[in-house]
Amino acid sequence: MITRTLLALLISGLLTACCSSGTTVVLVPDAGGKVGQVELTTENGTTKLSKANESAQASKAKQAPGAPILLSDSKIHDMFADTLAKEPASPEHYRFYFETGSADLLADANAELARAKTAIQARKSCDLSVIGHADRVGDNEMNRGISMKRAGMVAKSLIDIGIAKECMDIRYYGENDPAIPTADNVAESRNRRVEIEIR
Amino acid sequence: MLLGNKTYLVLHKSAVHFVLLGVLLIFSLPSMADERIGLVKTYEPKASVIRQGAETALGVGAEIFKGDTIVTDSSGAVGIIFNDGAVLTLGPSGKLIVENFLFNPAEAKVSFLSRVIKGSVAFASGAIGRISPGSVQFKTPTATLGLRGTKILIKVD
Repeated sequence: MITRTLLALLISGLLTACCSSGTTVVLVPDAGGKVGQVELTTENGTTKLSKANESAQASKAKQAPGAPILLSDSKIHDMFADTLAKEPASPEHYRFYFETGSADLLADANAELARAKTAIQARKSCDLSVIGHADRVGDNEMNRGISMKRAGMVAKSLIDIGIAKECMDIRYYGENDPAIPTADNVAESRNRRVEIEIR
Repeated sequence: MLLGNKTYLVLHKSAVHFVLLGVLLIFSLPSMADERIGLVKTYEPKASVIRQGAETALGVGAEIFKGDTIVTDSSGAVGIIFNDGAVLTLGPSGKLIVENFLFNPAEAKVSFLSRVIKGSVAFASGAIGRISPGSVQFKTPTATLGLRGTKILIKVD
């Protein structure tokens, strides 16, 4: 009788150890194939993941998290099938570039505007941002101003080709979200831009 | 007399400014708190949002606000794209709270904190994660997750 109870306890203990519990995190490539990093931290330690398909578990708050283990694509798919099946399509981006200190559209802007319009219509999206950026030449204040002007210019062009104003918000990030990180006061043509984000 | 008039004018002006400031505050404070932070893009019944104590069914196009608790039943799922371009999907039998979403990129003031109570989450970070790596965090009953770009899957059971 006692052995049977012990056996039952042992089995239930094994079951808990095997298939629960706590928090599992998996680092996966994003839509562009890029892999970032994630830190899993409990009251007793941190496990850092930095490779595609690495996973770690935190079973209890008071225990250190487990070491990283590598999961196969099919295992990940099995674990998260219902969730991954409902993932929204990633936002799409279209870009416009500018001369230093200028908010005037360049000659090739019309073709990019047309591509953006096609994408907005294909996605039936009424959820877009027009986001102005600057490089790091000049001070923050000035770069906020120029990035705002650039965004306004692209927004106006979108409205001119028939995109509803109610569907867009116009924003400016100044020099805070560079495509190419640089030191201060460096001219970088790829950072003097406006991005249309179609969500 | 002239001096008296001038003083009156100055006082009057500052009083107008004071009233204007008050009006601005009244209009700007609630609108900041009320700004939507994301939109529902995909939906599988049933999923709902608990906001200020009231539960409402979600659907494609529904707005998400800071502080929302999102709940799915055993067959439900919901996919959200946030204002910064982050994509979050909550799978079946899930419960998640968007505790903080601060997105003021021009001032480099950004933060994105969610609490996963249970269920599975797929998350790809957006501009907040790019502007300030480490400012995208998830809390679970046993751990904290600090994301430095870009995509993770989380399971809490």
